[in-house]
Amino acid sequence: MISWFFLVPFSIAIIISIWNRKAGYVALAISSVILLAGSFIHFDYLDSFVVIAALVWIFSSWFSVSYGEKYGRWLAPMFGSTIFGMVIILLSRNYLEFLAGWEAMSVSSYVLIAMNKKNDYPPFVFMAFSELSTILIIAGAVYSFYLTGGTTIAFTKVDSVVPLVLFTLGALVKMGMVPFMISEWLPIAHGNAPANGSAILSATMTLMGVFGIVRLMILSPISVVFGVIVIAIGVMSVLFASLFAYVSEHAKMLAGFSTIENNGAILAAIGFYMIAQTAILRDFSLVVIVIFSLSHSLSKTGLFLGIGASGKEHLLDEGLRSSRFSRVGEVLSTASLSGLFPTIGGLGTWMILEMFFMGATFLGYLGIVSIIAGSLIAIGEGFATAAMMKAFVFTQLRNGKEKGVRNEQSVVFSIGIFLVLLFIISPLFIGTEFLGGLPSIFVFNGFAIQSRFTSADFGLISPDYVFGLLAVFSLATYAVFRKPNTRSVPVWRGGRDVTENYTPYAFSNNIRLMLKKILRPGIGERSQYMAIADGFWAFIIIVSTSYRKMAKGFTLGFMNSSIRWYMIYMILAFMIVLLLTILL
Amino acid sequence: MYWYEEGEPDGRFIGYTKRHTIYGNHYRPYEEPLPETAVKRKPEEFVFAYGPSTGGLMESVGLDLLTPGEKISSITVDPDYKLRRIKVTGMSVQDALLRVERINGFHSASHSICFLRAVEDALQLDIPDSLQFNRIAQIETERIRSHLLVVQKLAESAGFGVPVNQLSMLRETVSRIIGTSCGHRYFFSVNGTGHSIFKTDHLKERLGEVVDDFHKIYEGLMESKLFLNRLQGNGINRDPDSTGPAARGSGIVHDARNEMEVLPYHQLDYVPVVRDEGDAFSRFMIRSDEIFQSYDFIKKIDRYAGTVYEEPAFEPVDGSGMARIESPSGDLFYSVEIKDGNIMDVGMISPSWRNVKSFRTSMEGNIFTDFHFNWESFGIWISELGVDLS
Repeated sequence: MISWFFLVPFSIAIIISIWNRKAGYVALAISSVILLAGSFIHFDYLDSFVVIAALVWIFSSWFSVSYGEKYGRWLAPMFGSTIFGMVIILLSRNYLEFLAGWEAMSVSSYVLIAMNKKNDYPPFVFMAFSELSTILIIAGAVYSFYLTGGTTIAFTKVDSVVPLVLFTLGALVKMGMVPFMISEWLPIAHGNAPANGSAILSATMTLMGVFGIVRLMILSPISVVFGVIVIAIGVMSVLFASLFAYVSEHAKMLAGFSTIENNGAILAAIGFYMIAQTAILRDFSLVVIVIFSLSHSLSKTGLFLGIGASGKEHLLDEGLRSSRFSRVGEVLSTASLSGLFPTIGGLGTWMILEMFFMGATFLGYLGIVSIIAGSLIAIGEGFATAAMMKAFVFTQLRNGKEKGVRNEQSVVFSIGIFLVLLFIISPLFIGTEFLGGLPSIFVFNGFAIQSRFTSADFGLISPDYVFGLLAVFSLATYAVFRKPNTRSVPVWRGGRDVTENYTPYAFSNNIRLMLKKILRPGIGERSQYMAIADGFWAFIIIVSTSYRKMAKGFTLGFMNSSIRWYMIYMILAFMIVLLLTILL
Repeated sequence: MYWYEEGEPDGRFIGYTKRHTIYGNHYRPYEEPLPETAVKRKPEEFVFAYGPSTGGLMESVGLDLLTPGEKISSITVDPDYKLRRIKVTGMSVQDALLRVERINGFHSASHSICFLRAVEDALQLDIPDSLQFNRIAQIETERIRSHLLVVQKLAESAGFGVPVNQLSMLRETVSRIIGTSCGHRYFFSVNGTGHSIFKTDHLKERLGEVVDDFHKIYEGLMESKLFLNRLQGNGINRDPDSTGPAARGSGIVHDARNEMEVLPYHQLDYVPVVRDEGDAFSRFMIRSDEIFQSYDFIKKIDRYAGTVYEEPAFEPVDGSGMARIESPSGDLFYSVEIKDGNIMDVGMISPSWRNVKSFRTSMEGNIFTDFHFNWESFGIWISELGVDLS
């Protein structure tokens, strides 16, 4: 692990950003580059998360240089502070440091979300769920402290799975997983921050949850039951979040649901680690967690920044014109999020499905869990592809095209190219135990990524050959046929002069109609183009209003101008709190 | 006028001519209809323009489907893309008839006979029963062919190539039977004031084969779950003003054959076929049952086979007449005013005019993939709608 020294540049960057927004962002990008470089000094598995986070921060800081003036001078410092909190998490060696980073990240994010003043409630929703998450993590930390006999608060090996369970629950809240996803809190919060803020919240804040779980998972005893539960939560999150992403009409909330979907897949891989019975399957699942986290984080950054560059909040809004570069960038980001080649997301999706199909073969009776999980993830990926197509069409293609390229668009383009580049160089960071080749068909050793059981191969893919074949055939086609002669003609609408276009709502209305029992039929309240069963909020509202009624009745009925009843109330409340404290 | 008189509304609303508002057995001066309530559009909705020149539609009609995707919020029907202005005023009855019978070639017998019954009402002519039954034979033969076409279109919407071609062949057979019975496949120049050249000889035997063949196709369609699923629950119509099979398929007994003695159906013991589901399947069933019922009428009328009708001599008188008959699609109404043997005023209300409103209501909340089944099941004719008869 790397040292606290790396926090210094980030602190300086935050201070600079208070006076000069652009200089602050540049300083943040430089700080991230330093952190990235530093992570390779004594690289271990957990440093992979530092690399992923640093890459996201470099791109989002670069994007922010020309973005977000309308949000005022405090956007840059809060953006920096959120990153600062995450750096503390990544560098933490014990629970206290982790929690300090967790709270610093949460408070800064709260302000970041509050800067988008269109709605009042998203920051409060975010803060409520953040604090719930913190309470659960504290509970995990306290129990771990108890297990060590009160000797250390450091991340250390323990004999019980309870700290991991509590910590995982806390992280799940932060990651917006099922059942917390049903409350839509994560898309509401992430979808209402400025685009650069949304990018780091979705791509790296949730990554911190993954980081925390993985960190404790390695130190905790294996629990197959908990593993199956984690897989179930992950898979349900994939399925429902991808479905909800598909029917979302708010551009950034669509991306927010996609975040939950990706995190669900990562969580399922974490669960797989817990039920895997051989070292090779566990090792493969650890590689899957990192590759999927890498692809999700960078692709999601590309998507959020692409949406930010399009100037859209709702997909129906009039946006800014897109450029050839932003279109290429976003199509590659969405392809990656859809699990398509030749992007790193394609590799991640292949690996996760491969992992579950290996599990189906080699995990005995747990194979049934594995095959069901793999199948449901595959279904979720299908929905995700449709959702990503919707996002791309309505944030880029429908916006009209402009010549030239703005800074934001060049960042989106760079991320897209980087996703392809990562796919090409992926054999370099997969680990030699999963590399091989088939020289008989000219796939040389080291160019094929192979899923394995014992010493034999299960399945394989060669990213370089995939890319090479795509490139060769594309170039050959171009060489033979050149640029196709295309002509544009007005759309034939029965011979009539009707100029109306297909709406994004219509794009996914077939699913709404098919699943009308669980999806809200129209545009929701709060001016959000939501389409999800609102049971959670309905329940919260009922509980809140009932409590307020009861409290009002009690206040007026008993305590109204009665100092005697007020004193009784105070004493009782004090005793109950004292009792709860002793018991817990 | 024998069947109509001026007075307060009685019975059901039939429609508007340019000068009158027509109810069951009464008419009133024209009353401006209430303006349609404007549809409030939601931001996610858009207009999907279908037609007038597109596949899947037999006639030119512009349909604007307001939709948030798949589900249809509302629909408008514009039949005027090929608006025909047909002028008959100032013409003799025979000349006017040549134009009237071309308003809707598929229902030419119904239009010409209804027009002639209005003329005969104006001229106060008594028509012998045998000729009246001859006219019923024409209308019922036309009904068989028209219903065969609707069933064929329903099968076509389901992509059932075999029954489509079989039904098409049956329709062709009926057209040939009509052609050999009167000299024209679409009853053109067959009818006149007080006479007809339509021969009912062998009609029973020849149509019997068609009906037997249809019965087999009908049974085949009824065994197709795929076909039934597309019709059942599709386009439920509860419009109390609808007419023809659309009304009778919704449990509404609207039938001019039962209500008026313009043609002597009462002598044939006519009982309307009624179902109450109100969906496209119900309309399909009504049409299928009416094919068998129409053939039963033709069998009963067979006793008049061989009768030859001479063109009667009559004194032209001035007057007004109104008549309403049950065309294959529903109520068809004509009014005429005659002076010096020429048509001075004419009015027409087609069943398609009334049913297009019922169709629009039945499409609300439906999905586009069900559109064609529902559209065809109503048997709406744009040729009757996109016409300005004066």
